[in-house]
Amino acid sequence: MNSPILFNLKKYLPAALLAFLLVACERDLEELKPAAFPTNPEVFIDGFSAGLNYAVFGGASPSAFDVDNQVTWNNSSASMRFDVPNAGDPSGAYAGGVFFTSTARDLSGYNALTFYAKASQSATIGLIGFGNDMGPSTYQVSISDLQLSTGWKKFIIPLPDPSRLTAERGMFIYSAGPVDGKGFTFWVDELKFEQLGTIAHPHFTILNGQEQVETSFTGVSKTIGGLSGIYNLPSGVNQTISLSPAYFQFLSSDPSIATVDASGKVLIAGGPGNAVITAKVGEVTADGSFTVQSQGVYQHAPTSSQDADKVISIFSDAYANIPVNYYNGYWAPYQTTLSADFDVNGDHVLNYTDFNFVGIEFSSPTVDATSMTHLHVDLFIPNALAATGQIRLELVDLVANVTGTSTRSITPAQTQQWLSLDIPLASFSGLSKRTNLGQLIFVDVNNNISGFYADNIYFYNASTAPAAPTTQAPVPTHPAANVISVYSDAYSSITGTDMNPNWGQATAVSVVQVQGNNTLKYAGLNYQGIQLGSSQNVSAMAYLHLDYWSATSTSLKVFLISPGPVETAYTLQVPTTGWRSLDIPLSSFAPVNMSDVIQLKFEGNGDIFLDNIYFRKN
Amino acid sequence: MKTLTRYAGKAFPCMLLLAVMVFFVSCEKDDFQKLEKRNWQLTWSDDFEGPAGQLPASANWVFDIGTGDGGWGNAELQSYTNAPANVSLDGQGNLVLTAIQEGNRFTSARIKTQGLFAQKYGRFEARIKTPYGPGLWPAFWMLGESVTTTGWPQCGEIDIMELKGQEPHIIHGTIHGPGYSGGNPITKSYALINDRFDAGFHLYAVEWDQDKIDFFVDDYLYQRIKRDEVPGEWVYDQPFFILLNVAVGGNYVGFPTAQTPFPQKMTIDYVKVYQEVN
Repeated sequence: MNSPILFNLKKYLPAALLAFLLVACERDLEELKPAAFPTNPEVFIDGFSAGLNYAVFGGASPSAFDVDNQVTWNNSSASMRFDVPNAGDPSGAYAGGVFFTSTARDLSGYNALTFYAKASQSATIGLIGFGNDMGPSTYQVSISDLQLSTGWKKFIIPLPDPSRLTAERGMFIYSAGPVDGKGFTFWVDELKFEQLGTIAHPHFTILNGQEQVETSFTGVSKTIGGLSGIYNLPSGVNQTISLSPAYFQFLSSDPSIATVDASGKVLIAGGPGNAVITAKVGEVTADGSFTVQSQGVYQHAPTSSQDADKVISIFSDAYANIPVNYYNGYWAPYQTTLSADFDVNGDHVLNYTDFNFVGIEFSSPTVDATSMTHLHVDLFIPNALAATGQIRLELVDLVANVTGTSTRSITPAQTQQWLSLDIPLASFSGLSKRTNLGQLIFVDVNNNISGFYADNIYFYNASTAPAAPTTQAPVPTHPAANVISVYSDAYSSITGTDMNPNWGQATAVSVVQVQGNNTLKYAGLNYQGIQLGSSQNVSAMAYLHLDYWSATSTSLKVFLISPGPVETAYTLQVPTTGWRSLDIPLSSFAPVNMSDVIQLKFEGNGDIFLDNIYFRKN
Repeated sequence: MKTLTRYAGKAFPCMLLLAVMVFFVSCEKDDFQKLEKRNWQLTWSDDFEGPAGQLPASANWVFDIGTGDGGWGNAELQSYTNAPANVSLDGQGNLVLTAIQEGNRFTSARIKTQGLFAQKYGRFEARIKTPYGPGLWPAFWMLGESVTTTGWPQCGEIDIMELKGQEPHIIHGTIHGPGYSGGNPITKSYALINDRFDAGFHLYAVEWDQDKIDFFVDDYLYQRIKRDEVPGEWVYDQPFFILLNVAVGGNYVGFPTAQTPFPQKMTIDYVKVYQEVN
């Protein structure tokens, strides 16, 4: 009977060894865990607690804080004294600083930072709180406008979700300015962390507790704001706290539609479809939610086709925008319109929600739109319309103090797509002047447009340039004796000149009359030659003169040619505004032989009008 | 019950505090309070089962409506209604009395068993989560049936639980009778250390016989009022009916402040009444 027992022992030996090894492994892992941080609850009882440091905020009075042995809570040996400077004190405008530890503490066993405080007079401390570690300051909590009286009173700063505070260095932060310009002193004592059962009913909000719904698109991002917390204090009153996003655990009901990161930044990941973003602090679900109604791929506004030099842009990614004071004035008390602007891969879009009216101001400086003919706006109404809506655009001249209005109807079928409005400025009723435009206002006339996107808001000049000069070229004034003329009504020109030699060019050459004056026209220029009737010795001349006009050309050169051929180009500035008269020094055409000039040539594009081509002396 | 004589008679708040501390620190409740075993038989109860929004059973409860005479004798601010917003079941086995602020006025609810149920002697208990905030005054209490004939305080009043919302960690047990009423009743407080009554449900009870009235929180006896120690007439030998209400403001609690959170709810899991049988 012994052998089976032995056998069994052998059989179980490896298992026993394994068990031992597992235990050993666990121990090893245990040893690898970071050393637990101290759980010391004391910050300042009767002096600085272990490892506590103090730093002053920039601009704050460096001497505001001191340890006080005279005025203390409950006759303890020391308190923290803060001297808030008078307004205009050269040492600093306010009192403010941070108490932080060099070694982190594990505060997960406490749910409140508590202290006693009083002031030399009834006073308000602008901000007092926890979690600023002079670094990332991930887990901040603060109370604004804490009211102090001249008697000691206990204050509580609740710590939301203390389970996160396992390695915290930011112990205490304060910032206080003068009251009515006068400085004062306040004291803080018995500053420590506690686990209180007497604070209750924690309550948190995102988006200020609103259930927000937004139409959106793939690629759009938005950060959830409106974060706050409320705790009920032992006295039964509520205390509102500000807290950093890191306390919130953000959740998306459908990450394939929208993701949300730890900082509360929502990114629309796909669609069409809906996702609801909610948040929790510890086990408490926050009030408020953000419902994304993703339409899927974003439909960009139509590309703007106006030339940049004919545009005054208020909001566009296609043009440089003028200075704009604001895109939403939040005009109290009647405006409800909010802004939820977004950008999709660099395409910025204005997004007005809860629309009733909204104004854009561009008054610094005002816009002189005299030379402009139209206002362009691209609109997109993301929600369906039950009935035809009307949007009224108002332009305000802030100096003439006149407002022009133009109303546009939008049918239900025109929603959920871009609508390009090109409104002649002349059709803005009442806009008698537009030299100092400063505001553009949108108004929901029928109160049924819940919101809209806007893009490419700009004034532009739609007048197309005239195709031909309406005035003749300037009449030359040089004495005929000083001129050798190639083409001009003012002089006798070289006889036998061929104005359209066949050099294989595409240019269509004609002579047109402008105010009765013969003018040479090159339509659809690629290049064009002039074969002089005979070789010309122009070495006694100083300049080649020519008058030219083009609204359409973007490139134009003139050449002189001597046999060889030797030719040199001179670049002409195009397009022109009206006639342009040039006297080109002949030296510009070196090394062309000026005693034997046989041809001229033009190269470029567009339609060119030429007149008074001649050589002249000084 | 003889072991409890040190807690009988007049209230000693300091001793009470000490007792509570010992209780919390030692966790030796059973050793500490050797209560005499009693044989209680259920005579009346309401578990408040029913769909959310339903009024409490009309077989058990009637409503006090309005502002009473001078704020129900206490300059209370609220107007009582029988609207479901102020008094209704929550669908999860609780009755909820809700005090609502509407501008400068307040609505709330007060229900009672008057004319439907009253009992002389026995155990009266309710499991309640209290409201909170300065000026809130919830109560679970009883009046002698003779209130309609002899008036108050001759009828007697037993306040099983009262709380001031600005002290959410303290409840009060009190009796009012001829010669010891209004601002001069027989009363004692019971405080939680580092906790508060609105953070969860607690069981509030009295055990009442011809010799004494014992007051309990979570089956912990914190006050005994003996017949021969009452500084006036003992008027507790008649049937009493039950009341539940949430008052706002008044002489007892003071007025709500701008920081008082509203609405405020008193949530009642059940009310049970027992009679001792031998």
